[in-house]
Amino acid sequence: MRIALVTLAALVLLPLGAGAYAIRLATLIFMWAALAGSWNLLAGYGGAVDLGPVVYYGIGTFATANLMMKAHLPFLVSLGLAGLIAMAIAFLLGTPTLRLRGAYFAIGTLALAESAKQLALAWDRLTGIPLTGGSAGISLPLSAGYLPFYYVMLTVMVLVTATAFWLERSKFGYGLRAVGENDLLAEASGVDLHRLKRRVYMMSALFIAWTGGTAGYWLSYINATEAFGAATTFQMVVMALLGGLGTPLGPLAGAGFLCLVSELLGTRFVYHYLIAIGSIIVAVSLFMPSGLMGIARMAIHRGGKRAETAS
Amino acid sequence: MTGIVAVLECRAVSKSFGALLALNGVDLALREGEILGIIGPNGAGKSTLFNVIAGLERPTSGTVYYRGCSMSGLPTHAVCRMGIAKTFQIPRFFPRLTVLENVLVAGLYGKGAGLREAQREAEEWLNFVGLVDKAGSPAAKLSISERRRLDLARVLATGAQVILLDENMAGLSHNEMEAAVSLVRSVRDRGKSLMVIEHVMRAIVGVADRVVVLNYGEKIAEGSPGEVMRDPAVINAYLGEAYA
Ligand SMILES: Nc1ncnc2c1ncn2[C@@H]1O[C@H](COP(=O)(O)OP(=O)(O)OP(=O)(O)O)[C@@H](O)[C@H]1O
Ligand SMILES: [Mg+2]
Repeated sequence: MRIALVTLAALVLLPLGAGAYAIRLATLIFMWAALAGSWNLLAGYGGAVDLGPVVYYGIGTFATANLMMKAHLPFLVSLGLAGLIAMAIAFLLGTPTLRLRGAYFAIGTLALAESAKQLALAWDRLTGIPLTGGSAGISLPLSAGYLPFYYVMLTVMVLVTATAFWLERSKFGYGLRAVGENDLLAEASGVDLHRLKRRVYMMSALFIAWTGGTAGYWLSYINATEAFGAATTFQMVVMALLGGLGTPLGPLAGAGFLCLVSELLGTRFVYHYLIAIGSIIVAVSLFMPSGLMGIARMAIHRGGKRAETAS
Repeated sequence: MTGIVAVLECRAVSKSFGALLALNGVDLALREGEILGIIGPNGAGKSTLFNVIAGLERPTSGTVYYRGCSMSGLPTHAVCRMGIAKTFQIPRFFPRLTVLENVLVAGLYGKGAGLREAQREAEEWLNFVGLVDKAGSPAAKLSISERRRLDLARVLATGAQVILLDENMAGLSHNEMEAAVSLVRSVRDRGKSLMVIEHVMRAIVGVADRVVVLNYGEKIAEGSPGEVMRDPAVINAYLGEAYA
């Protein structure tokens, strides 16, 4: 707890001592940590592999932008409302899709995301209400500096992580983990699995929409092909798996590691970067199925043992 | 059922899997505080009967009543919360949760207890089945007979009034069997009503007040353990199995 507070204080104060580049990189890491962490809530604890989380990223992006530009609401108000819209849609979409199990849920959500993308691309033409700008996308007013984004992304990441810690020791968390381990047995023990899964699905939709809405304003240009693109989903999944599924800090570790690696290798060696990422993913799944957090736990365990023998 | 109130009743319950009729018009009643044995050869439909009663499978026709209320159409978790829970023939558990957490989930959701109460009761039930020293280890590390006891502790923690044990005493040595039989009796002494599937006749005769015999999905006999063992239809069914 004390470590968490010290780290948090350091992150809050970081902009005082860091340059624009470092802050931009940190914001990017927070963003991916929030996304991977949101995905981890459902997959890591509830055992449901969602391959369509970008639905809520896209909804968050476009809802925030339209509320700002059409309704002339302030950014944070728009963002808050976009989160509520995403949760309402998650309720409607989650009710039927969460009844699918295993690979069927994965395929179903993947198809859902693809449909959402096509719908967003065709929206303006179909409905006559311009919201998405079709394939051209829409530009947002230029934002005021980069610091607000740093703090919003930090906040979302902290909320996601706090939620994961809460799942580790709350009644809701025990029920959800039971569902993830053995859904039939959980039901036979009195767990209303559909309600629990839908709730966590809505929570993750909220966080993803907030991240998407912030990212869209930060980049000041959004289009449906990217906002609903499967590339975002796969990056979330890879980061969560790399960091350690079903651990509160795993997605943070995975996001930090991959963002730094891509920053070091990516700008000059795009292909080397892809090869490196590919090798890392294979190595993780072969040699460390419990991710970076698994390695950290092992190291701490060994360190502890050594300290014991030393004393 | 006049006079005696049945805590659980099956009326004309049938279940088919495609062309296979696993249960065929089964009528039975479980009385308050009773231990009812369910026996029958392999594939007779015993486990299917439990699955239907505990809401894990829908009956093709017929109805299960709990204290006079129809359980038709209730989802599995609601049947558990109403007060019916079963152990599994192949014991199930949450492998990466600890032994205590396995039981805790049942208390939190089956019984609807708060964290602190469920925690205390989970410890009590683990103590009751003799697993309290394993409370902190992952459930996946338990031996098969420990898993059966964990399954029993989980079912008890749901607070269910009707407990269904599907071969929960299988594969025990003579001494362990005696202990298991007295465990079942003390569950009843806590005010529960039980249905017990057992392959080992010795266990059933020792523990059941009454026995129902299934064969090919039909009830072929019912009565005290002594009566049933002498019933020619029952002897035939078991001889049929022996010579099959
Ligand atoms: N889900 C299912 N799908 C298809 N057939 C099934 C299913 N479950 C059970 N059966 C069949 O129904 C019949 C009854 O099975 P059940 O498991 O109820 O028997 P049982 O009396 O418990 O047997 P055992 O003593 O071997 O445990 C068997 O023929 C079995 O193969
Ligand atoms: Mg069986």
